[in-house]
Amino acid sequence: MEGRKLKDMLGSESKPGTEAEEGRNTMSQAGPVTETSSRPEGVGAPARPAKTLEAKEVNLYYGDFHAVENVNMTIEPNKVTALIGSSGCGKTTFLRSLNRMHELTRGATVKGSIQLDGEDVYGGGVDPVAVRRLIGMVFQQPNPFPTMSIYDNVAAGLNFNAGKIKKSAKDEIVERSLRGAHLWDEVKDRLGRPGSGLSGGQQQRLCIARATAVSPEVLLMDEPCSALDPVATLAIEDLIGELKKEYTIAIVTHNMQQAARASDNTAFFNLDESGKPGHLVEIGPTDEIFTKPKKKETEDYVSGRFG
Amino acid sequence: MPEIRVEYQEELQALEASALGGLDLVTSALTRTLEAVEHQDIELAQIVVADDDRIDGRYLEVHQALITLLATQSPVATDLRLISALLHVLKNIERMGDQCVNICKVIPMSGHEPPADAEMVKLILAMGAHTKSLISQAKHAFEERNVEMARDLVARDDVVDELNRDCFRLALAIGDDADKREWAMTMLLTARAIERIGDNAVDIGEQVAFVVTGLFREFEDASHPDPHA
Repeated sequence: MEGRKLKDMLGSESKPGTEAEEGRNTMSQAGPVTETSSRPEGVGAPARPAKTLEAKEVNLYYGDFHAVENVNMTIEPNKVTALIGSSGCGKTTFLRSLNRMHELTRGATVKGSIQLDGEDVYGGGVDPVAVRRLIGMVFQQPNPFPTMSIYDNVAAGLNFNAGKIKKSAKDEIVERSLRGAHLWDEVKDRLGRPGSGLSGGQQQRLCIARATAVSPEVLLMDEPCSALDPVATLAIEDLIGELKKEYTIAIVTHNMQQAARASDNTAFFNLDESGKPGHLVEIGPTDEIFTKPKKKETEDYVSGRFG
Repeated sequence: MPEIRVEYQEELQALEASALGGLDLVTSALTRTLEAVEHQDIELAQIVVADDDRIDGRYLEVHQALITLLATQSPVATDLRLISALLHVLKNIERMGDQCVNICKVIPMSGHEPPADAEMVKLILAMGAHTKSLISQAKHAFEERNVEMARDLVARDDVVDELNRDCFRLALAIGDDADKREWAMTMLLTARAIERIGDNAVDIGEQVAFVVTGLFREFEDASHPDPHA
């Protein structure tokens, strides 16, 4: 399965699937696992410098419809960047362009470039499948593979490696990933049980473990806590605070207070009016956006003066 | 776009009005205090002392409501800066009220027939009048979010400081009469208290700048005197 193009795997041109389907596609098409020696060995790995994701003149379309215009922004390494803005402002569309998921929608196109440490993920000859492994995504609705065991869920990406991995190496990666996702202690005695038997918060952490098992550089999260109760939400926020020590993270959230609590930088997207393209209004350190934003539009939005 | 969070906005506006209304209470306390000083009116002084409870009450009530807003409404940006500024301003108001009480408390010390020095009394009353207009300017600067008006408080307060120094010089030269010297001491305490009220008005000006600019800066710091003064 190494290096196979996404189109081949899916057969006919893909339609926008359910979140679960897209999640499965992301992981089942995972390319070769980079050797783990690039990461510190063992459990509780210390911080590693992650990569920068840079958007340059990004314009996104659904057919003729110009959905997002002229985004220029840097998603800083080892930091959490929150993307906020009202419904339909393009933040999720933009997020999905970062790991080439936008193009999975029929007719969806991209102009501009998205660079991971200087390498354009839309460059000629780049395998989008490899991109989606390096830039992983976690969705709003937790989507563990329901019939697979917890162990197999985490190892799902690894299982598509061209060369066989030794069981012991796989065990180590599964444990590291589950520990990294703050889930190991809760599931270590039932790794063989199905992933669907877990609570919402646990399922989401399982999805995070699955995403990190394949050693990504970046984690994208699309409203990862919207389907979770407040305690599970705070647990995921704590986890995100830990994960940024190893990864670059971007998170779309509808919850202002979550953006304020959990992110280092905040990017505010908005639409001038329905039908117009969404655009980036302002991006800056989260404490500044929430204490003295530069633009009145930003101030009005974070203060809840418009929805 | 329909307006949202209207109740919260209205409550915040009402709390601002209530906090700044405390400055009106201070002005009226100061007016009566100056009258009590001028006429050595002990009864009036006692009324000012008792009425300080109203200023304290205003402080506690608005303070509590602001804390509740912080807990329940997650204010950010300008709203948050405004709430922080109002908490500071309330403290300034409470201190200004206390300074009036301090002045009123020293009036009985000088007895019913004090050997008043007319020049000294004139200075005190001038300080008081000037400080009242400082309070008014601070209040307007806050209401209007006018940073220039707020900064101007520094220069106006310098006048009060100068008058305070004049009181001091006058006291030094008051002579050998024991009663007169004692009276002059109480006048210095009075002058000092008025000078502190003026400083509190300048502090309110600094809060205006904070609300508007998001930067907290002392306009003028006693430990770093203006080299151009």
